[in-house]
Amino acid sequence: MRIAIFAAAGACVLLAGCGGPQTSQANNAQANISNESRDSNTAAPSNAMVMLAAAPSKDQALKIMHERHEAMEGLGKAMKTLHRELDSSKPDISVIRAQTSTMTSVAAKIPSWFPIGTGPDVGKTRAKAEIWKQQDLFARKTKDYASAAQAIDAAAKSGDVNKVMALHENVDKACKGCHDPFRAPEH
Amino acid sequence: MKQPIWDLPVRLVHWLLAGLIAFSWWSVHNHHTDWHIWSGCAILTLLIFRLLWGFFGSSTARFSTFVRGPKQIEGYFRGQWRGIGHTPLGALSVIALFGALAVQVGLGLISEDEDGLYTGPLYRLVSTDTSDTARDVHELWFNVILGLIALHVAAIVFYRVRGRHLTKAMITGRGVVDPGSEPMRPGKLWVALICLAIGVGVTRWIIAGAPPFGS
Repeated sequence: MRIAIFAAAGACVLLAGCGGPQTSQANNAQANISNESRDSNTAAPSNAMVMLAAAPSKDQALKIMHERHEAMEGLGKAMKTLHRELDSSKPDISVIRAQTSTMTSVAAKIPSWFPIGTGPDVGKTRAKAEIWKQQDLFARKTKDYASAAQAIDAAAKSGDVNKVMALHENVDKACKGCHDPFRAPEH
Repeated sequence: MKQPIWDLPVRLVHWLLAGLIAFSWWSVHNHHTDWHIWSGCAILTLLIFRLLWGFFGSSTARFSTFVRGPKQIEGYFRGQWRGIGHTPLGALSVIALFGALAVQVGLGLISEDEDGLYTGPLYRLVSTDTSDTARDVHELWFNVILGLIALHVAAIVFYRVRGRHLTKAMITGRGVVDPGSEPMRPGKLWVALICLAIGVGVTRWIIAGAPPFGS
């Protein structure tokens, strides 16, 4: 009997675990969409326009997908280097600057990297189809990242390591804020 | 007549590990890498505690009472083993599971995530490339753990079919024992508390970044 109770409790925990995230993600998405519709006027028009532009040919699409993949991987490396540098006892501002500069240059290109027709139906990519289903939300998330990257880059250029440290978390949040809903798992 | 087989620390470690392994898997697949890291640290504490309890705990918790060589394992297959606690064959499963978990925790400690957002507490002791490799192996190694868990559960089902209820004993701590078996000698509470304090202490030290507390 005890085993049955325990098994039932375990099953409930597992089920709760399985159902939980999807439900809450769905709720979040819902909330985000409704937020978005409220202030859709403020969403970056450039992003939306790029998305609505004519779909590229398959070759063009694959080229864009390859370019963005490489750049995102480079951005990951920059983030890791920045993390290590800020964690070290004597952070080197020139190393920090090089990373924040990569962060802003990638941010500037993101809006042109996700035209319609560069999703998982076209080629190997971790970009989820949701990007094109929730374009306004995606545009806002990329804009969040661009602002965070610009702010930390400005702090790095001014040589203020403490400010860079303070702004680091914002960048992390912006990365995660877009990856969680719009990037598929690694494998 | 049911006799004590597993003491409370052994049972707690067992079920907490089961829960934390499931939670670690769930959290990392649901964008909660920070929780995943804390869960790994909790597993580390349990592993250190269990290692110490394997030397200073109750008789059935001690490695010296259950880890046996090939001869005794062979004897067990021929039905020559009598006793309580882990069988000579089950001991292999225990050692493999704890060993695999120790490897997994070790890999996690030096890993960093692909975006440079989250790092294991000891990531600074290795290079970025090593951290990345450790993360990849950490992910693959989970399959080894899953395989061992599958084997563990299959063994329990096998014994259940043959009429032995092992799960119940791991919950209540008591079970039917072979007549003439030496009863379990319980461990001491204060020894358990010291083992736990060492487990927590070493884990805190590692979380702080180990040797001289990071850099």
